[in-house]
Amino acid sequence: MKLILSDKPLKIDRKNDDTITFIDLSALNISNCIGCFGCWTKTPGKCVIRDDATMVYPKIAASDHLLYVSRIKYGGYDTVMKTMLERAIPVQQAFIRMVNGETHHVQRAVVPKKAVILAYGEISEEEQELFRRLITRNAHNMNFESYHVRFCTEDAVDETVNSEVEKWEK
Amino acid sequence: MGKMMILNGSPRAPRSNSKQYAQIFSEKYESETEYYNISKNNHLELCEKMAGFSHVLLVFPLYADAIPVTLLHFLKTLEQHPPITKPVISVLINCGFLEYQQNEIAVEMIRLFCRQNGYRFGSVLKIGSGEAILGTPFRFLVVKKIKKLAVSIATGKYKTLHVTMPLPRRMFIAASTRYWTEYGRKNGITKEQMETMQIEQ
Repeated sequence: MKLILSDKPLKIDRKNDDTITFIDLSALNISNCIGCFGCWTKTPGKCVIRDDATMVYPKIAASDHLLYVSRIKYGGYDTVMKTMLERAIPVQQAFIRMVNGETHHVQRAVVPKKAVILAYGEISEEEQELFRRLITRNAHNMNFESYHVRFCTEDAVDETVNSEVEKWEK
Repeated sequence: MGKMMILNGSPRAPRSNSKQYAQIFSEKYESETEYYNISKNNHLELCEKMAGFSHVLLVFPLYADAIPVTLLHFLKTLEQHPPITKPVISVLINCGFLEYQQNEIAVEMIRLFCRQNGYRFGSVLKIGSGEAILGTPFRFLVVKKIKKLAVSIATGKYKTLHVTMPLPRRMFIAASTRYWTEYGRKNGITKEQMETMQIEQ
């Protein structure tokens, strides 16, 4: 499955590819993770908050191609995308394992991903560098087997997304 | 030495490890401290109060490799409603992983916020194995480092400090497995149930 997860509506030219799922997080009702560990220790694999996030994280887990589209803030994802990523921890277990010489959580049935992360906004070089470092860390915790980080202005988001979708369709 | 505002940015602030770390800090800081949880509805109130403090300590856990969204929301409000005099901002961060270094991106995000908004950045304490360390014999190591953090801020000799359990990774993984298995057992959930590979099924 190919998944596009965005913090804003997008005009995507999907042509004939039915395997692409697009989710506009800004149109969903997703509240903050409350850090209760319920998804690890009470109802493993399921969040105890039964809002729209419970429809999104299984799709993140099942995707082999992933495109995240997010505004950038302080060198990280802005609030809409970050809220969803925090709510995605049911895809991991509480238990710890070694990954690339560091301790990380064991993943449940999370398909390895080819990820593209598109960060948009007015982004300084310093902020770009910090964001790249964040995605390097995410790769360990989110099962990215490969990833590519792109930056653009807000005006260029649709065009950039479509250029990435074209690459998937080739 | 200035008056310190301690802000807890943990999503589970009232019953968080961050609250315990903040409490230890209050005991070790030799001047007055006031503690607040960041909640959904108190951002403007906290921004207004901040004018009365020369120092702020942000205490929070690492969430998805970065600062928790609770804190991110607050910083965005603070950006729009800055106090007239800006305090020095210090950081006390913890993550559940053994490597305190996993906190670094989140610290850099706060540093970037400070640079973009004209706040002086103070001291940092990065805690690894922070979910469990306070309940272990290694608690004293954290208390010692929090005291160092408090002294560094009080004297204006800002430092970057760190602490974690002094365990080989294999032993840490075994200890954390016992910790989480016990956590599940208290909820009536077995280790095998916690290890399910299924998601929302």
